[in-house]
Amino acid sequence: MASSTINFRDTVILIADASSYLSMLVHSILRGFGATKILEVRDSISVLQVLSNQKFDVLLFDARLPPYGGLKLTHAIRRKVDNENRMMPILLMSSDTRETAIRRARDAGANMVIAKPISPASLYDRLAWVALTPRQFIDAPTYFGPDRRFKIEGYPNGVGRRKGDKIVDVAEESGPALAQGDIDNLFSAARMGKD
Amino acid sequence: MAETDDDVRIFPVETRFQQLAKRPGGIPRDKALAQAQAKIDEAKPAFDDWLNQQLDTLVDVVKGAQTQGADAEWAEAANRYCRQLRDVGSTMDFELLTFIAGSLSEILDAITMGAEFDRDAIQCHIDALLLARQKSYRGIKPEQVPELISGLRRVAEQLSTSLP
Repeated sequence: MASSTINFRDTVILIADASSYLSMLVHSILRGFGATKILEVRDSISVLQVLSNQKFDVLLFDARLPPYGGLKLTHAIRRKVDNENRMMPILLMSSDTRETAIRRARDAGANMVIAKPISPASLYDRLAWVALTPRQFIDAPTYFGPDRRFKIEGYPNGVGRRKGDKIVDVAEESGPALAQGDIDNLFSAARMGKD
Repeated sequence: MAETDDDVRIFPVETRFQQLAKRPGGIPRDKALAQAQAKIDEAKPAFDDWLNQQLDTLVDVVKGAQTQGADAEWAEAANRYCRQLRDVGSTMDFELLTFIAGSLSEILDAITMGAEFDRDAIQCHIDALLLARQKSYRGIKPEQVPELISGLRRVAEQLSTSLP
């Protein structure tokens, strides 16, 4: 990766989380990164309303965002043909880091899943990855979204991923929570022939 | 119906975020992280008020279950407060609080999935949360209070084994 410096100035970011305090924390972190154009909403109905009126560059929302939930919302945004925000990066913030939950997020069209609790480093590195790594889009009858067959070669400066990380095997319906590195690997599993 | 290659369109995309991000003049990562941490520190004074409000509401919701009954809907409502405590606690140096809220969240998840309402299990977690919110417990990690943690784990495991 040539550069780990991201210019967030003028990037329009939408944060959607029912928790006003958590939303404020993410807002504060983004301000620290240099972002100045940030809007917060509390539910998925508000997300759809603001998306119909305004163009955003990044959407960060809670996977359990009421009332529809993050997955349905992601799917709705990706499938709406006349939505100019259809291809914007969507990062889901989730405390449910079981493999099946991460896989569903990926299949709904999310670019990334960030495990809660969120730290400045975990957020920065994933935004940097989304910003600096070219990724094709797939338009198929059953899926519209970023290509799920990609491989994370490492975050800028080699951070955000552990040396011993392994590809995650396909699991049963429920399972233990995954660490952020395993979540990232799960997003990369398809190309490795595991999905 | 199976998808064929003809049904699938693959195309490159460069989003506006990608274009903006690559402009010169950004804040280097180390400085950006330091600035973000400083912003979090600025938010810490408000955390105590928020924490007290969340916890008081959770206590009220739990009390409500003792008088009105505890079904899956109640467990999900209580869990909303619990998850918020868990998700924010670590960021604000309340790792012990995060652990306890996570354990209680698992219990509430179990109730949502059909486990019996165990008043004692929930009350001992509430008591632990009230203890952990005290300023003297800021910065305390779960491994520093092993007896408390093993007790909570035991209670949570008993409940999970009672799932239908």
